[in-house]
Amino acid sequence: MFMASLFKIFSLKITFSVFLAFFAVFHAGAQNCSFTLGGHVEDADTKEKLKEASISIKETGQQTTTDDDGNFLFTGLCTGKYTVIISHTGCDLVEKTINLQKNAHIDVYLMHSRKELGNVIVEAKKTVSNTGFKKELSGRALNETQGLNLAEALNRINGVTMLQSGPTVSKPVIHGLHGSRILTINNGVRQEGQQWGNDHAPEIDPFIADKLIVIKGVDELRYGSDAIGGVILVEPRAVRNIPGYAAELNVGYFTNNRQYVVSGLFEQQLKHKPFHYRVQGTFKKGANVATPDYRLNNTGNEELSFSLTAGWRKEKFNSELFFSHFGTKLGIFTGSHFGNITDLENAIAAPKPDDVFLGQNTYKIIRPYQDVTHQLLKSKSTFYKGDQKFTILLSAQINNRKEYDIVRSSNNQRPQLDLTIYTFSEDFTWEKMRKNNFNGVAGVSMMQQDNSYSGRYFIPNYFAYSFGAYYLEKWAKHKWELQAGIRYDNKTINTTRLKFNNDTINYDFNFSTLASSFNAIYKLNAGWRLNTNISLASRAPYINELLSDGIHHGTATYEKGDINLVPEKSFNISAGIQYQNEAKTFGFEGLLYTNNIRDFIYQQPMPETPVLTIAGAFPLIEYRQTDASLNGVDFSLFLKPVAVLEWKGKLAMLNARNKKTDDWLIWMPANRLTNEITFSAKDTKTFTGTYFSAEMQNVMEQKHVPDESNGKQDYKAPPPAYSLINLNASTIIDLYKVPTTISLGVRNLLNTQYRDYLNSMRYFADEMGLNISLRLKFQL
Amino acid sequence: MKSKLLKTTFAILMTGLLISSCEKDTTEENQEEVITTLKLTFVPVGGGTTLTYQFDDPDGPGGTAPTQDEIILAPAKTYNVSLQLLNKTVTPAEDITTEVKEEADAHRFYYENSPGSSIAITGLDNDPNGVPLGVTSTWTTGVAANGSLKVTLRHYPAVPPNKAAGDLVNSTKSATDIEVVFVTKVQ
Repeated sequence: MFMASLFKIFSLKITFSVFLAFFAVFHAGAQNCSFTLGGHVEDADTKEKLKEASISIKETGQQTTTDDDGNFLFTGLCTGKYTVIISHTGCDLVEKTINLQKNAHIDVYLMHSRKELGNVIVEAKKTVSNTGFKKELSGRALNETQGLNLAEALNRINGVTMLQSGPTVSKPVIHGLHGSRILTINNGVRQEGQQWGNDHAPEIDPFIADKLIVIKGVDELRYGSDAIGGVILVEPRAVRNIPGYAAELNVGYFTNNRQYVVSGLFEQQLKHKPFHYRVQGTFKKGANVATPDYRLNNTGNEELSFSLTAGWRKEKFNSELFFSHFGTKLGIFTGSHFGNITDLENAIAAPKPDDVFLGQNTYKIIRPYQDVTHQLLKSKSTFYKGDQKFTILLSAQINNRKEYDIVRSSNNQRPQLDLTIYTFSEDFTWEKMRKNNFNGVAGVSMMQQDNSYSGRYFIPNYFAYSFGAYYLEKWAKHKWELQAGIRYDNKTINTTRLKFNNDTINYDFNFSTLASSFNAIYKLNAGWRLNTNISLASRAPYINELLSDGIHHGTATYEKGDINLVPEKSFNISAGIQYQNEAKTFGFEGLLYTNNIRDFIYQQPMPETPVLTIAGAFPLIEYRQTDASLNGVDFSLFLKPVAVLEWKGKLAMLNARNKKTDDWLIWMPANRLTNEITFSAKDTKTFTGTYFSAEMQNVMEQKHVPDESNGKQDYKAPPPAYSLINLNASTIIDLYKVPTTISLGVRNLLNTQYRDYLNSMRYFADEMGLNISLRLKFQL
Repeated sequence: MKSKLLKTTFAILMTGLLISSCEKDTTEENQEEVITTLKLTFVPVGGGTTLTYQFDDPDGPGGTAPTQDEIILAPAKTYNVSLQLLNKTVTPAEDITTEVKEEADAHRFYYENSPGSSIAITGLDNDPNGVPLGVTSTWTTGVAANGSLKVTLRHYPAVPPNKAAGDLVNSTKSATDIEVVFVTKVQ
């Protein structure tokens, strides 16, 4: 009866079979607490061995996951009745009651409730990834980034780097591309803020995520035709589907800037109603950052974020409402912010910042700073009809960005740049369950946007409307998997710029963009996998590229857009190879890519024609188009000579050319190599999941920079190569029966003095020195 | 149940469309401080015509290029010079000099002329602490010559400003708001 009602609650249309087999193990004496419970988990219809299924015993709280062959084992169990809960991504949960009298083994056949194409999360059930390029950060790797911002976390993925403006502002860069060439999907919704700015960090609290995934290839098309660089998925952890509650508390402290972070989560699934909810929140505050030799004034940060989720889940229908608020205040290093070229050039020429910009150890943030808030309200409803699934996703986003510059008058409390953007989107998706090895998905998306500014002009007020449609089809049989998709988008932008005499200048734009992608995977034989992807993507010029016109404070440049820009078109071919031996002691992964972008939009410094203003002459930077070619390789390798020891190597290389001028492209990530050694200790009664790792990160000097013989392209030559050593250690203990993860992280162990090419602060100051972090995670 | 939910979602959708398709808002204000004009007024000591020379960029940075006068002065004469800052993007034009004077201890004008310009600039007015402010000054010309003059307005963002007499024009304690170079002609 209990089982029956449980199934009713979860509305599972599943069939499952369970075989219980008892091994004839005879014990001479009554050794009560040394029994083992083993088992094996398989997919009910494909007979695929399910790895990473999570198994827990309700009564003892013991948890484990299945190995690559779908096996699991619990030891040290006493006689008695146990409830075993088995779950796996994309499958429905199974609960089994075992009366343990001797060593036992159970076989579990899980039914994938719906064979849907799903998003990449569901695809995670496969032993290998299912799209052109997919890298994910979860589990231990994600844990090690707790307390850092989104870009710093993603930076740990091979092929992903960071574009920074000082220690507080960072943006992710995928294979050399960033900004509006990357789509960030926050809990299924395309994040819409002011992502065009190099000093505009993504407005997302990484604590919301259980997984950060970077994808390229066919699945990109679900989100837009403009993902020339790739898509970042910020995936919250799956909602709880067992009645009861769960809570998690994270606290962390970082020594370098006395940063502390507190993040909590509480969720509940009601027992008699198919209703669940979750409340989550994060508070973070950091003081000024110290480099090995000096502390940088006004580099503090503050963040307050929270989210609420409520869901209703029935057999043929489920619906989820999600709200999130993200708020941050980021100090900008005072010695890097100039509204005049003479001041800027003096600061750049100095080997170290002037003493007036150094030495304060305070949490206080003064001008210049950024104050950014982002709110998202989303409703997602899914209906099932036969083997079809319909999803309606509605969302509203409000993004407000205020930039406070150093101003002449102390009476001026206003922000100098104040941008507010409202975005509404409606997505309708139709999915067909897998049938005859085929499954497809089609969708229609619409978006309406209203951007307004007050204060200094940089980009105009505008309304933007877009609509798009896509269709993807996937086919898989034996050793082959083929996927193809196509998408069309149309975007209208109507702008209004206010002029000083109350006139307006209006421009209207309309852009059509088309994208398509084809992906083929061939599993050569056990352990080997080959993957080829061909993608066409096109991105309409962004508002700042068309119409920015003003002084970019901080960098003391005058940026000017061009209304005649046309969409850029990318043709990306990638080839991947993966190998892993059967014992899982050795494996490697290689990805070769070539991304040819026609009409690539970039910023061209115009040293010959400075813009004269009352504050002096500013160097002009114009948006131009060229043809670009980005070619690179990501390679990673692991080796486990003994069970407790693992070596991991990662290499990322990129060559980025401006084909029209036959020169290098500016601001591209330097080649890098990372080596990591991990010692994992065997679990003891007190300590589980214990490991210690040491990482050496080598970043080369970027020698591929534009030729300066025809005029200055950059203020300063790229900084030299650097090496950093980072340490991580973690263990799980039971603290008053609460599983507690204790982690210690050390970044820049040797307090190395260095500067990074992709950080605009390299013109002025060094990067952060030694930073030790202590983090605790309590799971209730 | 299902139809009700469908209706609700439809209602949300329509509201969204409605809000986003509202008329263009034309009441936005651009209230950020812009200095468009630097005006120098020359009153000759001992009588004569008052001269004014200015740097003028009525639409602010960008857009139409600014216009800039040459400063033409008579030889061997003394002028009492006053400086005025205006914001012409608003009507009537706002006089920013008043604000500068109110916060005299956090502002300073520097006048740097090229060697051989044959102009000596002295007698800058002081802030309440006795440190030069430079809204008014005394200019004395010599023999006929051509040269240039750079007028720089620096402000001190720190509280208190810590402005000192010995601060150079490129002091890191202060930042530039105005930097204008005039061609000067003594003829």
